[in-house]
Amino acid sequence: MAEMILTVEDLTVRREGVNAVEEVSFSLAPQTDTALVGPNGAGKSSLVKALLGLIPHQGGSVQLLGQRLGPQGQLPPAVRAQVAYMPQSFAVPPRFPLSVAEFVALGWDGPRRPRGAVAEALAKVTASALAERLLSELSGGEIQRVLLAFCLVRPRRLLVLDEAQAGLDAQGAERFYLLLQELRRREGLTILQVSHDLEMVRRSCDRVLCLNRRLRCSGPPAHALSPAQLELVYGKGYVPYHHHHH
Amino acid sequence: MVEPVSIASLWALPFMQRALLGGLLTGALGGLLGSVAVLRQLSFFSDALGHAALLGIVLAILLGLNPTLVLIPFAVLFALVVSALVRRSQLPADALLNIVYSSSLAVAVLALSFVQEAKGSLQQLLFGDILGVSWLELGLLALLLLITLAYGAHSRRAQILLTLDESLALSRGVAVPLHRLLFVVLLAVVVAIAIKAVGVLLISGFVVIPACASRLVSRNFNGYVGLSAALGGCGGVLGLFGSAAFNLPSGPSVVVVQLLIFLLALLLAMGSRKGKPAPGASPG
Repeated sequence: MAEMILTVEDLTVRREGVNAVEEVSFSLAPQTDTALVGPNGAGKSSLVKALLGLIPHQGGSVQLLGQRLGPQGQLPPAVRAQVAYMPQSFAVPPRFPLSVAEFVALGWDGPRRPRGAVAEALAKVTASALAERLLSELSGGEIQRVLLAFCLVRPRRLLVLDEAQAGLDAQGAERFYLLLQELRRREGLTILQVSHDLEMVRRSCDRVLCLNRRLRCSGPPAHALSPAQLELVYGKGYVPYHHHHH
Repeated sequence: MVEPVSIASLWALPFMQRALLGGLLTGALGGLLGSVAVLRQLSFFSDALGHAALLGIVLAILLGLNPTLVLIPFAVLFALVVSALVRRSQLPADALLNIVYSSSLAVAVLALSFVQEAKGSLQQLLFGDILGVSWLELGLLALLLLITLAYGAHSRRAQILLTLDESLALSRGVAVPLHRLLFVVLLAVVVAIAIKAVGVLLISGFVVIPACASRLVSRNFNGYVGLSAALGGCGGVLGLFGSAAFNLPSGPSVVVVQLLIFLLALLLAMGSRKGKPAPGASPG
């Protein structure tokens, strides 16, 4: 069996004095696409931030690409270089004086960026035409593609997305998911994505983790997104959210 | 009406040479640091620090010390205390800065009323005296410009990423708290050194106006920072020539020149936007 990309055991994360995430355990196999779902305030963002070492965790352990995170979330640079993160609600202030090409170049965290790396990353996400545009002039869908180029400007093994499709219309979200699937195949990526779009998760992910502070269920979408399981995670009377596809 | 003086005759005067060099260095420094300060929404910080610095100057006068040398530790302390207060009190930063700034200004003016020899120089403190800038101050400004350039080149990636999105910056290994603090301390030291030339009331103009003018017309980050520094330096030199030629106060003259540059940039930006689609109008 291939070595796991990520192994989480009994992870507990405290935010502002309360347990946002409690004793969560799971692992990610290479080149899988896993969705993390759950109601607002379920601890999804806290969990992904703790996995990446962006915030400290208070209990349990996280092993990322064979390296264990310290309690403060310290991640060795060599491991960090293989992991990329797309944050929730990335907003660029008006007239922020940064071109798309400059922004994508900032994603490179090695000693020397090879010539052509930025152009190649933009081509991967079909955003070559945006290179000279200001980041602040882009639409929501364009921003998401450029963020992907930022993440993939150098080869990564794990891509973590925190509600990447939020703010996109149904067509934009669909295009984004298709692009993500294509990149996953082509780049051999392992994906962990926080999502509220259960229809999209059902169609495109291999596995679902249902979180409501604790891990309530996990497994393939057909099992984890069954009405009984959803009620367990979201509570009684839950109406699944989905885009209206035209 | 004051007779305009020829530029050649002004340039021959040693104090004028020092003043022009001071204007160039102060303006360029203000533009350079201002370019990041404006993006980080620290415009009000430089204003508050400028006003609070009056207390540092009065302390120096009371202790019989060189005001510039007292202002540097005072400004660094101010930056550290305000940063800690913003972080710990969880009050809005602008409200907190207002409390610190108005109270230190009030204490400074009260203390100033007890210092006989400083009464006449209040106007100089408020509006600056760039014509009286010393070689020591010029040396400090030049050193600060070098430090700022070196730190700016080293932390460019960190400053952009932490300004855009803290989580994104952390995920790429940026030491966010360290770079936040280092920038604020550097800004505080520059404001402290520039106070003598620019004055308490006008210092924020030096930091904010060139950066905003540059932001209106820039299409990439390096161009933005470079243009902001250049506009700051040009505003400093042109303002001083105007000040000396027409016998006007130096600090206000520089700020008025910077304002004219800003208005020109605004016109250019408005002209270039005509006929362009609104941001985000293109299909996703």
